[in-house]
Amino acid sequence: MSLLTVENLSKHYEGRRSLVERLTGVPQTVVRAVNGIDLTVEKGEILGLIGESGCGKSTLGRAILRLHEPTTGKVTFDGTDVTALDAAGLKAMRRRMQIIFQDPYASLNPRRTVAQIVGLPLKLHGLAQTDDEARAIVARICERVGLKANQLDRYPHQFSGGQRQRIGIARALVSNPEFIVCDEPVSALDVSIQAQIIALLLELKREMGLTYLFISHDISVIGYLADRVAVMYLGEIVEMGPVEAILANPRHPYTQSLMSAVPEVDHAGRRARVRLAGDLPSPLNPPAGCKFHTRCPLAVEACRSRAPVTETVGPGHSAACHRLAENLSLLEGTPA
Amino acid sequence: MTQTLLDVRGLRTVFETRAGRVCAVDGVDVTVQRGECLGVVGESGSGKSVTFSSVMGLVKSPGRVDEGTISFDGRDLRALSPAEMRAVRGRDIAMTMQDALTALNPALTVGEQIAEVLEAHDETLPPRGAARRAAIRAKSVEMLGLVGIPSAENRLRQYPHEFSGGMRQRIMIAIALACRPKLLIADEPTTALDVTIQAQVLELISDIRARLGMSVVLITHDLGVVAEHCDRVMVMYAGQVVEEGPTAQVIGDPQHPYTQGLLASIPRPGLRGQPIRPIEGQVPDLIGLAPQCRFYSRCTRRTDACLAPVEMRAAGPNRRARCILIEEDRA
Repeated sequence: MSLLTVENLSKHYEGRRSLVERLTGVPQTVVRAVNGIDLTVEKGEILGLIGESGCGKSTLGRAILRLHEPTTGKVTFDGTDVTALDAAGLKAMRRRMQIIFQDPYASLNPRRTVAQIVGLPLKLHGLAQTDDEARAIVARICERVGLKANQLDRYPHQFSGGQRQRIGIARALVSNPEFIVCDEPVSALDVSIQAQIIALLLELKREMGLTYLFISHDISVIGYLADRVAVMYLGEIVEMGPVEAILANPRHPYTQSLMSAVPEVDHAGRRARVRLAGDLPSPLNPPAGCKFHTRCPLAVEACRSRAPVTETVGPGHSAACHRLAENLSLLEGTPA
Repeated sequence: MTQTLLDVRGLRTVFETRAGRVCAVDGVDVTVQRGECLGVVGESGSGKSVTFSSVMGLVKSPGRVDEGTISFDGRDLRALSPAEMRAVRGRDIAMTMQDALTALNPALTVGEQIAEVLEAHDETLPPRGAARRAAIRAKSVEMLGLVGIPSAENRLRQYPHEFSGGMRQRIMIAIALACRPKLLIADEPTTALDVTIQAQVLELISDIRARLGMSVVLITHDLGVVAEHCDRVMVMYAGQVVEEGPTAQVIGDPQHPYTQGLLASIPRPGLRGQPIRPIEGQVPDLIGLAPQCRFYSRCTRRTDACLAPVEMRAAGPNRRARCILIEEDRA
């Protein structure tokens, strides 16, 4: 059984209307940030979630943890329906499901010391009997993530971005969780520091038997560390599958163009280029039919009117596109 | 006319802070040839932006250019008066900033912001009256068209907040290019953008460079961007250039341990299953630096000889690196 199952999960935000607008019948605007997502995460794997800004990947990560209350849908973690839990049940569940945030500057309380920040989950969940015991646990986990013992009583502003991210990791791991949502944990960091944090996250996963949902906009990072990949566009998953299959044989035109757009040190000048025209459409007013049709080089009439259904295209590999049967590829030299 | 457009020698830019003197740029040499695209790579704090702000004369107090010569198209920029420098900026050298939303004026329409540059620098315009206004308008429409903004006539009347991130970056490029400068300095033009939009903007810069025959300096932290778009690359670390040369050679066969470490630490699908080897430690504090090699504390190949100052050495034809491991006789 999968560790985490997400069924038809949606998160919609309603726009504000003034009284006049409501009385005069101005229609309610709705942003469908996450729209009918189905996915599973197996124990011990890394599921990479990739997409551009505004595609809903962070909202999905937070809706799974109920940091944002989902509008509809069901999240099951280790057999428990997370979406049905009451406050006490959810709190207990949060010990087992944690999150590492993108911005190591905004996600740490500037008025608390490292020991207080990392020790808070222990206090909330009653995981340490005495202050001394809590301090010892905090010191152990901080040392493990690469902080020094004499740094425990310092404040976040005394640390660099990479070290702050280590504090965020220590806070997520101190309650000994099983599942972590890594929400762009390395995007704000310099290249050499990014590599340190990725190496650390992979070591910790091995040692503690963790499962990650790893959110990123960087296909190089996802391609390096994920076991399976889900590609999101405007609130929906357009393609999902084992990382090898997605890298070698991406089937959705959006995945293909995403991959060809990444400048790579290895492939300079050798890669076929697909250049998408235009910007991501506004999620307030998404295109009808397939949401990608406004930017898709392969769009035909059917794409403008009907939303494609998700089809299986290989072992554990699925995609949602009207033209899958034609085996088209935007990437030259790649067998479709 | 020589082939060298920009020639910077021994540039030193310092900032006087309460904690002490920060030497953000220390002994940097840069040359940019006509028509070439130079990539400048480095992590935050490496001095890449400050180097080119110094070239533009945009370093503000408490910072100042302390030493060095900046020669552009045969003129010594450091000897120019503020008024003369103002004439060079925008007309001969233009710079686009990383964050287009804060760099553009939110209270002026896009059309007014392009017109400002033309008013200040374009000497080919009619002197006054309706003819001048019409000429400015025509040129503004032409510039927006050049950077690929559709229905330019209408969009001139819009404000920056009405555009998406990629479009704003295009507008900044349009403003920078309005007077057809000889050199465009693009400071992290795509860092804030999504990959598909990043690809569009980089392609646009390459395309315009070829069409207008200008030189481009592309400041970035992304070696992938450099690999795809730049002829030559200069790698900076802690205020100094540590390696420079033709892009393919530097990326294919890096000489400096920092460049090697940087390349080895980029996660990519090709390295799946292998551990990445990060560069341990952090960039040194720029206050009170010892005269030793600045990469010393993080270098896996350091020796006691590295505790003396290290100069740039020839590391092959057209290549230089700042490391004692390079045998001088390779040149």
